[in-house]
Amino acid sequence: MTGRRRSALAFVADHATFLALAILFLAPLVFIALTSLMSADQAGTAFAWPTQWHPENFAAVFDKLPLLKYFGNSLIYATLATAFMLISSVPAAYALARIQFRGSNLLFLAVIAMMLLPPQVTSVPLYVMWTRLGLTGSLWPLILPNLLGDAFSIFLLRQFFLTIPKEYTEAARMDGCGELRTLLRVILPMARPGIAASSIFLFFASWNDYYGPLLYTSENESAWPVSYALAQLRTARSVDWNLTMAATLVAMVPVVLLFFLAQRVFIQGITLTGVKG
Amino acid sequence: MTKRTIRRRVLSGTAAAAVLTLGLAACSGGGSSTVTAAPEAPDELSGTIQFWHFFTDREADVIQSVVDDFESQHPGVTVEVSAGQDDQKMRQAIAAGQPIDVGLSYSTDQVGTLCSSGDFVDLAPFIERDGVDLGQIPETVQSYTQFDGVRCTLPALADVYGLYYNTDLLGAAGYTEPPRTLDELSDMAVDLTEYAEDGSITTLGFMPLLGYYENAESHWGPAADAQWLNEDGTSAIGSSPGWETLLEWQADLIEQLGGFEKLSEFQASLGQEFSAENDFQTGRVAMNLDGEYRTAFIADQAPDLNYGTAPFPVAAGSEDRYGAGYITGNIVGIGKGSTNPELAWAFIKYLTTDTQAQVALSNGLKNVPTMADALTDPGLEVSEQFQTFLDIFEDPNSQTTPPSRIGPEYQTIFGTHTQKWQSGEVADLTSMLDQVDQEIDAAVQLQAG
Amino acid sequence: MAAAPVRPGAGRSPSVAGQPATEGATAHLSRSRRRRRELVALAFLAPALLGMLVFFVFPLVMTVYYSFTAFDLSNPPRFNGLANWRYLFTGDPLIGTAAMNTLWFVAIMVPVRIVGALAVAWMLTRARRASGLLRTVYYLPALIPPVASTIAFVFVLNPGTGPVNQLLEAVGIDPPGWFTDPAWSKPALALLGLWVLGDVMVIMLASLLDVPTEQYEAAELDGANGWQRFVYVTIPHMAPILLFALITGVIGALRYFTEPAVASATAQGRAAVGAGTSTLLGWPGNSTLTYGQLLYSKAFGANLLGYGSAMAVLLFVVTAALMAVLLRRSRAFTPEVAS
Repeated sequence: MTGRRRSALAFVADHATFLALAILFLAPLVFIALTSLMSADQAGTAFAWPTQWHPENFAAVFDKLPLLKYFGNSLIYATLATAFMLISSVPAAYALARIQFRGSNLLFLAVIAMMLLPPQVTSVPLYVMWTRLGLTGSLWPLILPNLLGDAFSIFLLRQFFLTIPKEYTEAARMDGCGELRTLLRVILPMARPGIAASSIFLFFASWNDYYGPLLYTSENESAWPVSYALAQLRTARSVDWNLTMAATLVAMVPVVLLFFLAQRVFIQGITLTGVKG
Repeated sequence: MTKRTIRRRVLSGTAAAAVLTLGLAACSGGGSSTVTAAPEAPDELSGTIQFWHFFTDREADVIQSVVDDFESQHPGVTVEVSAGQDDQKMRQAIAAGQPIDVGLSYSTDQVGTLCSSGDFVDLAPFIERDGVDLGQIPETVQSYTQFDGVRCTLPALADVYGLYYNTDLLGAAGYTEPPRTLDELSDMAVDLTEYAEDGSITTLGFMPLLGYYENAESHWGPAADAQWLNEDGTSAIGSSPGWETLLEWQADLIEQLGGFEKLSEFQASLGQEFSAENDFQTGRVAMNLDGEYRTAFIADQAPDLNYGTAPFPVAAGSEDRYGAGYITGNIVGIGKGSTNPELAWAFIKYLTTDTQAQVALSNGLKNVPTMADALTDPGLEVSEQFQTFLDIFEDPNSQTTPPSRIGPEYQTIFGTHTQKWQSGEVADLTSMLDQVDQEIDAAVQLQAG
Repeated sequence: MAAAPVRPGAGRSPSVAGQPATEGATAHLSRSRRRRRELVALAFLAPALLGMLVFFVFPLVMTVYYSFTAFDLSNPPRFNGLANWRYLFTGDPLIGTAAMNTLWFVAIMVPVRIVGALAVAWMLTRARRASGLLRTVYYLPALIPPVASTIAFVFVLNPGTGPVNQLLEAVGIDPPGWFTDPAWSKPALALLGLWVLGDVMVIMLASLLDVPTEQYEAAELDGANGWQRFVYVTIPHMAPILLFALITGVIGALRYFTEPAVASATAQGRAAVGAGTSTLLGWPGNSTLTYGQLLYSKAFGANLLGYGSAMAVLLFVVTAALMAVLLRRSRAFTPEVAS
């Protein structure tokens, strides 16, 4: 009995900072959760504790919006985008990190430069292009570009590849491996954390992308992802905050689960270079 | 030259050519439409049209019910609705060539561009051919549906602004009538304001700060007959005495109520405008400028509130204008890529001139109908407080903000200066207004090219 | 795959184009090896190169073109020479404020986020139990859609009724106005940025866990203490990731748009989904007006798309120069891992 109590206290003491931080980090999320259980009248007011509890808000969200269909769209968007990104960006990042060729620095600078153009303006000519191709009203204008690389991911992957000691690639080359085999057999297994990190990044960025679907799918309700559907629980003037927050929480559940599972994979997947602590 | 250099040059040349081609291909958007009225209206309507509008959720349902009515009246006709489309998306789609037949814009901001570019086609031939009586629409409303002589839109529903006052709070201070002039408003505001022990405001009579809820220069303008733009689109703000009157009145009231800092503190704790915690609905503020839609929110969120509505008070010297207010609204037009313009026109006519459609829209959306017949239709749900807004709507002195090629930018520019004025950072009002003129003219000039 | 035996040093090519390698006999070998390497690199990079052409060069060319025109999106663009550029440098009254505000976020919010993320990641490497759960908790805010998280944050920091200010008052501190006070609105946004540091934290954590234990052990044997181990072993190994965080942080700060727009609207009482342009930008007092918001307002609110394009080109040029400097400096910072 005393043993268990002591270890509980010890746990708290050991992890006091963690717990304090965790409370700070969770506070606004608690606000979101409380709002999702409020009446429509109380949502949007400053009084944070629901005077009446309305768990039926969650059912109402599913009633008003065909969320499962939208989840499907989000899943297609995020998964395909990530898969396409990996196919195109991993080799590109590897080339920039470990293959010495003329112009590689310039090209790397160009990759970064791709991220410097404000998307609001660059979307104008691209929107016309996609309209000409007849692909507006769908998620394809958002998914397909990843087949041609994603600057952010190329950058991140390159940096991760750089942290893998050169000796490994040089040894592989000495053994007579070509670049492709080096990449697949030597680098990829060691770069699992980096690949997982960049996959997670793009997956979640696509999952939460609002402006992309606003531009390309808003007119076609069957193509809406969840992130866009969240914004539909409103009238011209006011937003149904209780329902919107409920929908937000529902939209987050799959990605939180996914993260919880994925982070074990990539954190625990570091075997070759040793685990710290 | 080595083979490598040649290869590189060829590659970069091809790349450049590809880019140019793509650019030209993309660039060749725009161009005028060939959509216009047929010589005779068709006997029977058929086909499908794309209808884009801004509403969502239950308001979209209201629109859908009107669409359903139209479809049932014309079997063989389908209206495909895309809800939740804002102005920018709509214009971008039209500019890229998407075949939108009917577009409903939530505000009048883009009428200038829509008409001047032909994104919405000129409706004059349709109006003439079918003998649509524009006299049913107030002149002010007519003015915000056209630009530079081209009428490319018709009004769907309107928003009207006036004064809301808490009859309980007014009664407790001995007032039975709302203020009719700005001076009266100031006196009553000071009288109705209560302070806590530390000097901060607990109940405010009237908030003079712009940016608080619906306090906007555009909404105050009609109180002093203040003008925005000249005929040629340049700024009329500096030359219109109404603005000086309004801003001096504002500065005076800020002073009387305790100063900018105190009022800012009060504003920092305001309740979200469309939540149940709206300051007027909770009685935190006794009088407030707001639109006709507020009656619906009060009925829904604060049914026990005792309140009245009245036209917004007018400035000294403009007493004969009492009864007027600010009007704006939704507008609807035919997209230049329309594949079925006659059906699109029939639908627009239905939305904007059919009494039953107007009444249904007004009852559902709680906005003001724009057709005179609909205003007096017995089916229109009108509460005592809502009637005020119908009266303001029909008042000939009511005003709106004129369409411009730079959209609402002239209001935004003015706003950056009034923010400084009300915080006390501006010493010379006249030169500030001249500065506003200059900045607006520069923006207009930049757009004109 | 090369059939000839590989000699040490033969894998490295001379950096000058076209020059022959050291000896006559090996010159042919290393040149063909170099060419093969370059072809492989080209093959690996081909999709990205094509993507660069379509999604970067093409919009860039169009944007530069638009910057010399008067363009309102609906009418075809009309050439107007340097008018937009003149307005950008001499005419626009808000450009200075927008630029300064944006630089504030670059100079303050970015380093704060990086240091914070590193600190949290470092702490997480020491967590013994429930580390997976804690990681998820710290990452959670970054998973919330930005509009919802910003609104929640503004409500939590409500000056009158928010829990933070109520707590501060209970402790006897006079609390600031946060998003309603021009002096505190930017720091409040920086706090919001700190709250969502999960995304940066996760990659820092991955990198931290990647540091080889042998290096720590070697350093300890050499007599290095904890702090010295951190500075001389951990940081250098994390350098590429730190650089990544710095560069993407700066890029994000230069583009900062959604959070300040939503926070400003919510603080004014008009919380809405999607950042509109109808409320006062940068309220209160233009304090949170960022370059991105101004660009959006001018391009799509005022229909000055040509001018907006000029703003975009200026942003691009300035930040490209900044990136070039940062990357050059980074080579000195990371001698053994830089390419």
